[in-house]
Formats: sequence, structure tokens, C-alpha cells
Amino acid sequence: MTSSDAARRTRVLFVASAGGHWVQLGRLKAAFEGCDIVYVTTRDDYRTDVAGARFHTVSDVTRKNALGLFALSFEVIRILLAERPDVVVTTGAAPGLVAIAWAKVFTRARTIWIDSIANCERLSSSGKQARFFADAWLTQWPDLACPKGPSYWGAVL
Amino acid sequence: MAGPRLPEGPLVLGRGALIFVTIGSMFPFDRFVRLVDGLAPRFAGESFFAQIGGGNYEPRNMAFVRQLEKAAFSEKLKASRAIVAHAGMGSVISALEASKPIVIFPRAMEHGEHNTDHQMATARWLGGKPGIFAAFEEDALAGAIEAALESPPAAADALSASAPPAFVAKIRDFVDARPGRRRP
Repeated sequence: MTSSDAARRTRVLFVASAGGHWVQLGRLKAAFEGCDIVYVTTRDDYRTDVAGARFHTVSDVTRKNALGLFALSFEVIRILLAERPDVVVTTGAAPGLVAIAWAKVFTRARTIWIDSIANCERLSSSGKQARFFADAWLTQWPDLACPKGPSYWGAVL
Repeated sequence: MAGPRLPEGPLVLGRGALIFVTIGSMFPFDRFVRLVDGLAPRFAGESFFAQIGGGNYEPRNMAFVRQLEKAAFSEKLKASRAIVAHAGMGSVISALEASKPIVIFPRAMEHGEHNTDHQMATARWLGGKPGIFAAFEEDALAGAIEAALESPPAAADALSASAPPAFVAKIRDFVDARPGRRRP
């Protein structure tokens, strides 16, 4: 980091549901070296994976649970306003989609959606919605990339 | 919650290997848990430990818990000789990063085990790759477990903990390309 760049390090909000989403995003930490990473996931015991880092948990809801999404939005907005990230990156699922959506409303963060590598035949349903909120809208499968997006930059494996 | 405990550590008979069975999340996968539980006696020298999530079926031949905390999960993974799991990327990547062979048995939408059939696609894609043994049919699972146990232990650095450098670099470029100072 150069000091002329900013008075503080780039703050990155990592948002990933517990399980495969989290494991995949963890493999991209090297891309954020030198950044101030804040973690958001759906299980509190995951904090042992990132001991010492700032860490938040949110409700694990699906896209079909309207009431749950409403509650989740408040949790996410509170975190966004407290952390003021420069970048929000997510591998899904619904909480990640909600995070990049509200990040566009409440912060000036740039957003990255990386669709799970598990979706090798079609984009996830959250991934399809993510096009509206992601500055970098990515699939991990070259066959799923389109000129109008999503883009393929590589995969975590 | 916790089931009957089998002795920890290596057994005297057989290979004494620990086989760690996991369905990934709390989302039930009873068909798989019941199946592995039925197979466990055939691997008499081995000890099974299962994380069974929120299903109704409770194993009779395996020690089990509903869910391990993340730190305990990592420890169990490290201690095991092989993983037997649903075809979820969390389980697969965790196993590969720990250099453990993994058997994957995909959840099927037709049985209500997932909301899509993407685990079938995952298993088709990953099956046969080094250290990954896919079983699609119930009667193929025992053979896949045997193959995993027979496979040579993977090199400690079989899979690095980081994504390929080219992908990392592209994300890095995006992060660095900051459109001016936003926080005067």
C-alpha cells in the first residue's frame, strides 16, 4: 500500500455463507493482502478460522424467505454502516447478494460477486440477481461467461 | 445429541483408520447417513465418525454428532485417513487442502436432498480427479470408500491454500484500481 493512496488501508468486507461459500472465499485472501479484511458469515463458530480479525454473523436465510431477507437486510446494513467498506466481495449465497445490494445503496464500495464453483452448468439464482449489484460479476466456469456478463477471471481451484 | 462413542485413536485390528463422514451442513441427508451406517460394519478395522446434521436417522454403527464447531471439524479432518461426504464444495476443498482422499456421494433433488441437482454435476466434474472418489449409486459407495482407503496418502502440499495466482492477480487488479479517493 502506498501512503498517498489513502489515509487508511483498503477495507474489504468478505461475505460468505458457512460451508462451501466460505471455503472458496478463503482461498482468495491473497488477492487482498495488505487490506483490512472484515468477515461476515452465518455461523459464529467460524470466527476461529480468522482469529483476531473483525468478524460479524448474520442470519442464514434463503432468497425465498421474504421475511428473513427483511431481517437480514437490517443486520447487513448495520454492518455496512459500521465498517464502511471500500470493497465488498462475496461468493454467496443470499446474504452475500443482500450485502452487495445494500452496499450499493449505503456505501460507495465496489462490489464483487463470485458465483460458487459448484455451479458448473448454470449460474446460481442469487448469482443471476447479482448482475444488478456487482461491479465485477464473475462465474468460475468459462462456459458460463457471456460478453454481457458474467465474466470469467479464473477459479479458486 | 451425541451418539454412542467408539474408542478414539487407532484400533488394534485392521488399518485402524479414522473415516470422517460429513454431510456438510445441518440440511438432512438421511439416505446417505443410513447407507454409510449400514456399510460401517464391513470396515471392521476402521472407525467411523459422522457429522449427520439435522436428519431423523441416527447411526447405530458409527459415533456421531449433529454438527461440529469449525475448529473441531478441522481437527477431525486432520486426524482422519479418508473423508466420506456429500458432494459439497466445502467438504471437497477442505479435504483437498488437508491432503485427505474424499469420497463424494451427491445429494439428489428427487429425494429432496437439495434444491437443485448441482451436486450431481459437481460429482461428475470432480470424480476421478486425484484424491476424489465419486459414487453415484448406493451400491458403488463401499467400493469408493475402499478405493479411498487404498489410495496413497496425498503429498502434504497437494493443494495449496490459495487460488491459482492468475485469478488472485485479476481480483487484486480490481481492488487496486480505485477510482480516486472516496474518503477525504
